[in-house]
Amino acid sequence: MKDLNTHLSDQQMLMDVDGELSPKEEALIRAHLDACWKCRVRRKEIEHAITDFVRFYQKENDGQLPPVEGPRALLKARLAELSATQSARHSTWFALSHKNVWTLAAAVCALLAFGLILARSSGFQRPQTRRRAMITSIPDSTLTPGATVLISRGAVCSGESAKNKAVPVSLQKKVFEEYGIAGAEPRAYEVDYLVTPALGGADDIHNLWPQPYFATVWNAKVKDELEDRLRQMVCDGTLDLTEAQREIATNWIEAYKKYFRTDSPLEH
Amino acid sequence: MFPRVTDAITLRDLLGSSASTPAQDPLEAEVVKLFDHFRAPLLRYLSSFGLGVQDREDVVQDAFLSLFQHLRAGKSRENLGAWLFRVAHNLALKRRYRMRRESDANAGAGGLVIDPAPSAEDGLVRHQTQNRMLAVVKALREQDRRCLDLRAEGFRYREIADLLNISIGAVSLSLARSLARISRATE
Repeated sequence: MKDLNTHLSDQQMLMDVDGELSPKEEALIRAHLDACWKCRVRRKEIEHAITDFVRFYQKENDGQLPPVEGPRALLKARLAELSATQSARHSTWFALSHKNVWTLAAAVCALLAFGLILARSSGFQRPQTRRRAMITSIPDSTLTPGATVLISRGAVCSGESAKNKAVPVSLQKKVFEEYGIAGAEPRAYEVDYLVTPALGGADDIHNLWPQPYFATVWNAKVKDELEDRLRQMVCDGTLDLTEAQREIATNWIEAYKKYFRTDSPLEH
Repeated sequence: MFPRVTDAITLRDLLGSSASTPAQDPLEAEVVKLFDHFRAPLLRYLSSFGLGVQDREDVVQDAFLSLFQHLRAGKSRENLGAWLFRVAHNLALKRRYRMRRESDANAGAGGLVIDPAPSAEDGLVRHQTQNRMLAVVKALREQDRRCLDLRAEGFRYREIADLLNISIGAVSLSLARSLARISRATE
């Protein structure tokens, strides 16, 4: 134990204040403090410094914290999204790992073949469930209102979602059916995202439409330029992400004109 | 009609915001409860990383999504508070590193773009002690500031040491050094 000529260090006193000492060390410190006025004063100073800092820390931060409601709602939605994604993955894995997968596949093939034969023999034709929508550079808003996933600006700008994923062929077919052009030549259209995934657009039929290649002026390439511009603005902080999604979903051509300040696509 | 996928919302839903809330599973509810408890302390702690308000919120969101995955995988439930701080700490460092790199690559940007919200120095006239304290705290080494902030959030020395990957001795030394400076500045 230190005598009165060798005072306690700040570190020792702080550990005492914070209850970080063993009972034996604590007893020794107490014995010194009982005898040493200087160290007792120093200990008080340390306690004052703690009080000052805690007051400062709370004052600096608490007033600036945004309300919790919005972030809480966002977290709930993202958790639900995560749960749904993981459940879907789990069921796919389970199905594929099943012992009888080949048996099941064979049964499905047999059923499909049977259905096909039945349909042909009865002269069955698939009814046109959808009216034939106007296929133009702007999608039909009742079929393709645009759909987004909940995503933060940070994730959009991190580049993780910068590339458009290829639309699966099965989904492309469903888009064609929705637009009443099930029998159309697939090479005449590009099934495009209305709100690009680079801006949080969803992999969802409500966000896909058949963009005709014969639209030579306002075509997919021009739309790509707009998408790049909007993403840049979102990441620069000059445009809100939701606003960018809304603009592109409402009328991407008008959005192009607005953000490029032109009435026709820029030439390159 | 082709069914809508569950992980997507139409813009109409987003803008109309009239969607009903689906039933929450118990794990999601638990994570949300922890979010309500730890969000403010985490945001306070992250303020010393030089990140903007939105970036800090993003880090906190990502930390809780990681927590959800962690718990869902049946991993340890021991001291989830310290676990959250550690994950948020690492995420914040990564984000700051990325921001710095982007900032360096962006010619003429002139360094790290930080908090777009009013900075600590802006705004109202502060009390003199508060100003002196601000100067001292800003001058602290990054690790000293972290130790101080974590201690103010109620973490024990061992937890701080684990979180910052330093020894307990280094924690106590750091705290003592910082408090000595504060004490000198405010006396």
